[in-house]
Amino acid sequence: MTKTAPGVRIDGLTVVYKTPAGELPAVRDVDLRLEPGTITGIVGESGSGKSTLALSLLNAVQPPGRISAGSVEIDGLGDVVGLRNEQLRKARGKHIGYVFQAAQNSLNPLKTVGKQLLDLGRSHGVEDLRALVREAKELLGRMGLDGARVLDSHQHELSGGMRQRVGIMLALVLNAHLVVLDEPTTALDMITQANILKIVREVHAERGLTTLVITHDIGVVAEVADRLAVMYGGRLVEQGPTREVLGAPRHPYTKGLIRAIPRLVGDIDEAQALPGRPPTLATVPAEGCVFRERCPLRMDVCDTVDPDVRADTGADGPRAVACHAVTVKEHA
Amino acid sequence: MTVIARRLAGHLARGIVMILVVATISFFIVRSIPGDPVAANVQKLIEQGMAPEAAEQATRVLYGFQPSGSLWQQYTDYMAGLLTFDLGQSVTHAGAPVTQVLGEAAKWTVLPVLAGTLLSFLVGIILGVYAAIKRTGKLGDILAISGSLLHGVPQYVLGLLLSAIFATLIPILPADGPVDILFEPGFNAGYIGSLAEHAVLPVLTYALAAYGGWILAMKSSVVTVLGDDFILAAELRGMRRSIIFRYIARNAILPLFTILALSLGLLLGGAVFIERIFNYPGLGLLLLDSITMRDYALMSGAFLLITAAIIVANILADLFYSVIDPRVRGGEEVGA
Repeated sequence: MTKTAPGVRIDGLTVVYKTPAGELPAVRDVDLRLEPGTITGIVGESGSGKSTLALSLLNAVQPPGRISAGSVEIDGLGDVVGLRNEQLRKARGKHIGYVFQAAQNSLNPLKTVGKQLLDLGRSHGVEDLRALVREAKELLGRMGLDGARVLDSHQHELSGGMRQRVGIMLALVLNAHLVVLDEPTTALDMITQANILKIVREVHAERGLTTLVITHDIGVVAEVADRLAVMYGGRLVEQGPTREVLGAPRHPYTKGLIRAIPRLVGDIDEAQALPGRPPTLATVPAEGCVFRERCPLRMDVCDTVDPDVRADTGADGPRAVACHAVTVKEHA
Repeated sequence: MTVIARRLAGHLARGIVMILVVATISFFIVRSIPGDPVAANVQKLIEQGMAPEAAEQATRVLYGFQPSGSLWQQYTDYMAGLLTFDLGQSVTHAGAPVTQVLGEAAKWTVLPVLAGTLLSFLVGIILGVYAAIKRTGKLGDILAISGSLLHGVPQYVLGLLLSAIFATLIPILPADGPVDILFEPGFNAGYIGSLAEHAVLPVLTYALAAYGGWILAMKSSVVTVLGDDFILAAELRGMRRSIIFRYIARNAILPLFTILALSLGLLLGGAVFIERIFNYPGLGLLLLDSITMRDYALMSGAFLLITAAIIVANILADLFYSVIDPRVRGGEEVGA
């Protein structure tokens, strides 16, 4: 069976976490499109809700969290928010591959990679397990590893970069065409990081995938993503084609993020950290703009009214930004 | 395989050294306990009007021998005997070899302790998994509370309680020794049946007393594993529940094997109360008697046996660990 890259339409997605202070939103009213065959990057600081958003694609938000509103439509699967039990289990792995952060131990420490591969195959009713092993070896070989040796290894015998490639192999081996990578390069050294990103790009193109990359590292997104979405305090504050957003950021938070990156050339002092701290679940404002406490363009209206997402079409595709100041400036 | 063989050799060497050290320490401690059974007997006979010569003669006949060497002489004799598994003779058992006396008693301790511990281990870990998975529900609460309660009740109280209920109030089970003397010892249905019937209460006591510890330990171990990334990863890869359950159980049970091996070693000597309550002539009672009777050789022998059991249990636990945990197998740990 050949599959094609699926499109994903996230509409009005809200994810809340149960806390002693009631249910607080970690992701609020997010609209996002993943066009078939593209790589989308989501950038945000810790606690911005980006990982929660990624888990929502698999309807795998962990308790005490839950998806309280919205839908995640995936081509060929329908709305995953409505999927339950076996349907959901079968969708995971087979249609949607999830790659964990390299530093996380995403493998059972007591079993070899090969045995876990067979467990995965059996879980999804793969009849030809030999073919599955062949496919796994091929994928690992494609990523520059000795497939037979890796399948015979335990997690503790693999380096961080090797583990990450094993994670990518496990996400793709069942022929999933939607892949979510959560912080794929965090905790890897620079060389390995570059290698992994190259692999992500190449495998994405070769297999015809729709890919979502979650990261706090704007450099990673610049490297691989076609489109970029910026999250802050559970909201998508800006999105658009990567080159346009990085070249001409409109939201003051995006501008701040880009200004904070130290350059290889030029004065190190040019890099300016954003003042203040990102909000946590408990401190994110219930009304008004989530970014206003750290915003240089703050106006009165920001305290009370949540800015609408204003979309328009740029040269390379749709752009959107949610900021009162931008709206005022551009429509004055 | 060679790694395991090397580990085994290292463990055995260390184990033997430890046993020799413990033998030395227990030899001197035992002999510094006040009281001398031979001298006391001679004294007693003299006071009864016997001539000193005759009194010593009678005592020698009574015990079959009379130690007269210096402490150092006794020590070297003892250690030399130890190398040939000769632990000396027991003065309270008419000069029978200590090894034979210990062997007789050991079977009445090992069988019920082993059965009770394994039973509680099995039940405890299975219920511990449920207690962890259902920890937010009623079932989890009930299991955890039952574990805490039983864990808090001392073994001897449980033994007395069971004996009072099932042997006295509702006399359906015997509590009068390890076996009915009516039956001919041997491999016949009557004898085996009687053995099993008599073992019910002591085994149940050991099992109930240990169950609480197992369920609580397993519960916390499972909760830890549930929080591990690879469990979420397996879920996100769409693994079957039954497979994930096996991942959890196998990872959670690892640390408990060490506790199991150690507790089996320790229980050999710690069964005094249970053996008294159910009249089992086991090691615990033997040790107690040997201390009150100042039977030096038997005391040293019993201490040595308990020590050896713990050391052997440790070695077995470690070897077993290296079989079931690939991270230990590699031999990359410090000091190996």
